[in-house]
Amino acid sequence: MIVFDKVWFSYGINHVLKDISFTVSENERVAILGESGEGKTTILKLILGLIRPDAGKIIIDGEDITNKTEDELREVRMKFSIVFQEGALFDSLNVKENVAFCLREYSKLSEDEIDHKVRELLRIVGVEHAIELMPDELSGGMHRRVAIARSLAACEPKMFLYDEATTGLDPVNADIICKLILDLSKNGRGLILVTHKIFDAVKIAERFMFLKDGIILFDGDKEELVHSTVSEIQIYLNEVSLSCKANKSGG
Amino acid sequence: MKIKELISELQDFYLLSARGLLGAVKKPFYLKDMIEQMDYAGAGSFVIIFLVSIFTGMALSLQLSAELSSLGLKMYTGKVVGISIIREIGPVTAALVYAGRVGSGIASELGSMILGHQIDSLRVFGVDPMKKLVTPRILSSIIMLPALTIIGDVVSLCGGYYIAVFVSHQSGTFYWSSIRDVLTFENVFAGSVKPFIFGYLIACISCYMGLSTKGGSKGLRKSTTRAVVVSIVMIIVSDFILTRILLYVLGFSV
Repeated sequence: MIVFDKVWFSYGINHVLKDISFTVSENERVAILGESGEGKTTILKLILGLIRPDAGKIIIDGEDITNKTEDELREVRMKFSIVFQEGALFDSLNVKENVAFCLREYSKLSEDEIDHKVRELLRIVGVEHAIELMPDELSGGMHRRVAIARSLAACEPKMFLYDEATTGLDPVNADIICKLILDLSKNGRGLILVTHKIFDAVKIAERFMFLKDGIILFDGDKEELVHSTVSEIQIYLNEVSLSCKANKSGG
Repeated sequence: MKIKELISELQDFYLLSARGLLGAVKKPFYLKDMIEQMDYAGAGSFVIIFLVSIFTGMALSLQLSAELSSLGLKMYTGKVVGISIIREIGPVTAALVYAGRVGSGIASELGSMILGHQIDSLRVFGVDPMKKLVTPRILSSIIMLPALTIIGDVVSLCGGYYIAVFVSHQSGTFYWSSIRDVLTFENVFAGSVKPFIFGYLIACISCYMGLSTKGGSKGLRKSTTRAVVVSIVMIIVSDFILTRILLYVLGFSV
């Protein structure tokens, strides 16, 4: 379970998060929505302990991680699997080496076993054919899928964290990624999806948070989201209804 | 506010420098990464060190021959070229070239890894970026810069020989015997301590600048430029300080 208790965070003089409090249980599918620069990615980084809050507490599975050292945080991070914006693949390694990175680092598997596991993970995400390619030879969609495969190789995560997993992708590839994200969460593992694409968020999540000016403007389920009177959310919902209309008229 | 930031930056730099070096004695060891860095820093810099050194040696020999000829002391060309190159010009020239080529490469590589969240990925996967990225770069610089300096010194002396013999019409045998005379423990020690320090400084400064990159491609440009500029200034400053200390320790009178 993730608990944010009155968390403040700022980059210099820019207060990104102001007194944020929320709780996410480990089997929930949560989407954090908001415009660019509203602190959505910052929340993911705080959960992983990559940055420290200015004030407040972050509690993961009952443990306050706010003041943990880098070594202590390693154990906490193993509970999560994150896919960063645009994949964050190691650009000097090919797809196989990227996915095998953690296996080589931590497991005692032989090279044959690593090869087998890498192929298996790439098959799950549907990019087995790209095993020898370098990251700069991959399309945006393939990039994200390889990043998902790599995050799966890292550990047996309790929760998945996705940072703008579908941003910059065409609708077909975005849909593939959404389905993949849902498939991976089928066995009850929760996720936090950070996005500004509400159309993709409603496909995946069951709970929605909306960040604006450093505070959570809205926190509720799909039903509450649809009937929300918050003007910013209405703008986002209009995008969804326009997309739906376009889909219907397109047959 | 500025002073506070500067102190904080200095503290981070010292911590990186210390932790980067301590990584060499604490597991896990990234030997493959270190060899890769040594290949990039050492083998990759050979040609440029060769070119810069040969022309430096030739220019120095030319200048000294001209000046010493007017004083009737042309036969001392080899001796002065030898001392200058072994004690001062060789280590500094190699370090400046190294900072320009390898230092900028380290800063830009680490900077783009920061911007692309690759460093965050490493941390999430439980890998210490300090050990995986900084330690191999520091160690490879500490090993490769002295090696490149020795190569550069030899090439410079050969360049000096060419000018002394074929342009200034001096005796080649006398030139080499003068060089042999200046290859004393004091001179060789004074010249060979510096590259270790310069290598450590360049790697630490470049890693620090790379890892503190922020602000997109503009920020990357800034951190790469800062890495080279600060390295060059620090090479010159530390060269002066080291020279002063070494002269005192080795018992030279000034």
